[in-house]
Amino acid sequence: MSHENPVRILASTAATKVMKSELNRRRFLALSGTTAGAALLAACSPQSGTGSSPQATGGALEGGLSVYSWGDYDDPDLVNEFTADLGPNVTFDSFNSNEELISKLVAARGTSGYDIVVPTGPFLPQMIENGLLSPLNLDLIPNIKHVDPAFLGRDWDPNNEYSISKAWGTTGFVYDKTKITRELTSWKDFIDAAQNEASGKTSVLDDPAPLLGIYYWANGIDWNTTDEADLAAAEEFLTTQLAPHLSAFDSYPGGAAIPQAQQILMQCWNGDARLGIMESDEPERWQWVLGSPDTELWMDNWAIAEGATNPEAAHAFINYVLTPEAAVRQLDYTGYQTGTSGIEDLARDAELEMLDLVFFDEETIKTMHTQTISEAQQRIVEIWDKTKVAAGS
Amino acid sequence: MTTLTERQSASSPKAPRRRPRWMKLPSFALAIPAWAWLFAFFVAPVALVVWFSFGYKPGIFGTHANDVLSFDRYAEALSPTFFATFQNTLWVGVVGTLICLAISIPFAYWLAFKAPVSRRGILLAMVMIPFWTNFLVRTIGWQIILAPSGVLSEALQSIGALDEPLEILFTRTAVLIGVVYNYLPLMILPMFVAFDRVALPMREASKDLGAGRWSTLFNVTLPLAKPGIVVGILLVYIPLMGDYITATVLGGAKGNMAGQMVANQFQTAQNWALGSAMAVVLVLTILTTVAIAALISWLAAWPLRANQKLVLGDKS
Amino acid sequence: MKRLALTDLSLKVWAVIVFAFLFAPIAVIIIYSFNEGRLLVAWNEFGFGSFAAIVTKPAITDAVMVSIQTGFVAALIATALGTMAGVALARRAGKWAAPFLLLLVLVTVTPEIVDAVSLLPWMVFLGQDLGLSIFDNGLVRLVVGHSLFATAVVAYIVRSRLVGIDESLEEAAADLYAPPFKRFTQITLPLVMPAVLAGGLLSFTLSLDNTIVSAFVQVSGSTPWPVYVLSAVRTGLRPEIAAVSTIMLLLTLLALGLVAYVLRRAGDSATDIAKTVGGG
Repeated sequence: MSHENPVRILASTAATKVMKSELNRRRFLALSGTTAGAALLAACSPQSGTGSSPQATGGALEGGLSVYSWGDYDDPDLVNEFTADLGPNVTFDSFNSNEELISKLVAARGTSGYDIVVPTGPFLPQMIENGLLSPLNLDLIPNIKHVDPAFLGRDWDPNNEYSISKAWGTTGFVYDKTKITRELTSWKDFIDAAQNEASGKTSVLDDPAPLLGIYYWANGIDWNTTDEADLAAAEEFLTTQLAPHLSAFDSYPGGAAIPQAQQILMQCWNGDARLGIMESDEPERWQWVLGSPDTELWMDNWAIAEGATNPEAAHAFINYVLTPEAAVRQLDYTGYQTGTSGIEDLARDAELEMLDLVFFDEETIKTMHTQTISEAQQRIVEIWDKTKVAAGS
Repeated sequence: MTTLTERQSASSPKAPRRRPRWMKLPSFALAIPAWAWLFAFFVAPVALVVWFSFGYKPGIFGTHANDVLSFDRYAEALSPTFFATFQNTLWVGVVGTLICLAISIPFAYWLAFKAPVSRRGILLAMVMIPFWTNFLVRTIGWQIILAPSGVLSEALQSIGALDEPLEILFTRTAVLIGVVYNYLPLMILPMFVAFDRVALPMREASKDLGAGRWSTLFNVTLPLAKPGIVVGILLVYIPLMGDYITATVLGGAKGNMAGQMVANQFQTAQNWALGSAMAVVLVLTILTTVAIAALISWLAAWPLRANQKLVLGDKS
Repeated sequence: MKRLALTDLSLKVWAVIVFAFLFAPIAVIIIYSFNEGRLLVAWNEFGFGSFAAIVTKPAITDAVMVSIQTGFVAALIATALGTMAGVALARRAGKWAAPFLLLLVLVTVTPEIVDAVSLLPWMVFLGQDLGLSIFDNGLVRLVVGHSLFATAVVAYIVRSRLVGIDESLEEAAADLYAPPFKRFTQITLPLVMPAVLAGGLLSFTLSLDNTIVSAFVQVSGSTPWPVYVLSAVRTGLRPEIAAVSTIMLLLTLLALGLVAYVLRRAGDSATDIAKTVGGG
């Protein structure tokens, strides 16, 4: 991702009333310069946060910790051990999309009560600019040393001041082989099945970008297109061709829809598909298909919300889950690769189940694309909104 | 009684003179705390939302801006795409309320007139008991019942009423079952009270007039119980129009209600201006439909009103 | 005569059907609270694991406690404000009464989602821009949000109860030179007590079930029970949630029995209470 995009967006948001301190504006300038910006950024980093939140200094841990994350995204046993070892009780709340996370933080302006949040990479620069995140104190997270350097210093947060990679995954779909007897392999097949065998029993992710992705990937259009003609075509297709066949917008079909056999065809993230199939009474009934010819690659990151009331516990938790042992257990539960060095070997050594839904070869990864946030973002959300409305009528 | 009333009218004008000056509170003094509370936490915030509705969304991270005021958000909220959802919501609201009404009238009638008097309290409490289980949990209970592999589906298949699993979840029928279930007690309760209250005059009236059973019901009982029925209708219709959680849990994509649309604007799209306009439209829809319904029932009651007077006259 | 018996019978059958309808999902939830599986909705095998799991999940008990506390305080506020307003409306209605009633009607007809979207920005404004940090507190936000509709409802109930009672007693007290405050606490209040109790109970019940406003204004860390459940719905409900519901149902039944017993001793029948709740 280039630095061009955030700058363009930020210019348009400069007029907004979203809280912004003078320091924030300095950071905005810092980011708009490219390499020089990075240096400037490093110079004024830890103190330059928006500052109202108590910064973690390594003091005593608080008694509680609130995590606002994607659904079923942490191994509950691991979390219980964290509480047993270090004290803080952890509560989880989940969102369906980055847009939902950001809306909550923007509306609450530091009073959401959430300590840890888990945004996807491309959304980070804007969240930082708008003062939604509080800088990390990396001294309190020594286990960052276990993170593969390839996952550190990504262009959305070059110095990992605000975020550390949590996990990454991709998007595909799952179908019921007892109802769809032919073999589905691509997004085109997904659409065709949704309009035929699975009509009225198809769910899609409740997340704007992957929803539009179905159309773009199936038709060989760049997922990150900002061309209004593409957007209009996507809108037309989704609201009139796909929406009438949809029965749910569900970001986590693995939670209930797959085990309960509520739907026939479900767009879902790989880890959630694995979780759902493993939970099902009849795992052989379900077939996972990685989206093709192209699909998504997302990377979620640990971050701390501005206004967090339990910063010490938040740092301790992030540190706790970064050890290789914890990472393997997280992978085993969630079905997503973490950024831990050598995680694949560790997972294969541990002989975890269904690893074909977790690890992908080089060739396959080349077909996965990272989202970029552009000025089309507002249109994308609008199309998602209209698709939802169209599906309900 | 008469003496007291007479004295009351005689003494009332004197009362203020007897009180010390500091106690001379204006007549609305007791209502001031409620006024203040509702102003601070209802009027002010809702006014803010109305204000937002004339603004626009300024950028990705901007939720609203009001430097340019317009009715554009209302035009957007009423554009065909979103208008369809208002129509659906209205359909679910009206049909749901009517079903509640159809279920409640015979039930409340039975409870007020036919159920053994000694058990009436318990029976009423039983109507309320489901209310003390969280409404989402109750709705999940329905999800379990209505699932294709659920209890109902298997029962219907085993008695041969169905050849295939029941495909009712994530349809509008499921939405209706859910909302009717969740709001039914709100209809039964005031209706029972109303029937109970008219029990005596009704019996006397039918005795005196020797009216037939059905004509008594339609000409006497129902008109007399009207206030309770109206309260019941309002208690069901208004929250039902705003509820979207029941509909989403049971209806999935088909359960998209206006409330969900408003929530989406605030929770995901961050378009507070549009969300506010939709919220205002929703409130106006409710007010308008209630006003129309009131007008219709008022007009329809013309012929009945004469009867009612007759009955009341008879009673005294 | 035969036709009459037939109508009576069909009414009775109808009542049984309605009760079956009302209790079907409750029964399912109670049965499924003994599900040993990971997911509530997918029956695995019978067991008490879900009840044991409640103990190990402080988030669940915390959420229930938050709900009970909020319900209690919200009911207290709504009952106090609503009772005074209801008394004023019934006894001292003047020119102000019409606009006030209009306000109450507006509060009642405004759907929860509208309250929700307006309260969140407002609370944040009060807390962050005006520096009234009390509004950053999750419990305060919940209590305020839950008290609005309830205040209006209590006012209606109290008003309709008082309207039905002759004012003579209060007038008599005035004649005997009882000061207004004393008259209020010693005469008017006891008269409206059933309505006040009913209103309080109703406010508490409404608060316990309030999901939409709560979901918007809540501060994580003081998450109420319905919002906890709502959040769990997304990723698949665990049987613990049904277990908590079963326990809560049992406790409510116990409390109800107790209330009924006390009231019976006090001479009020359950029907009267229900009537009062229903606006009688």
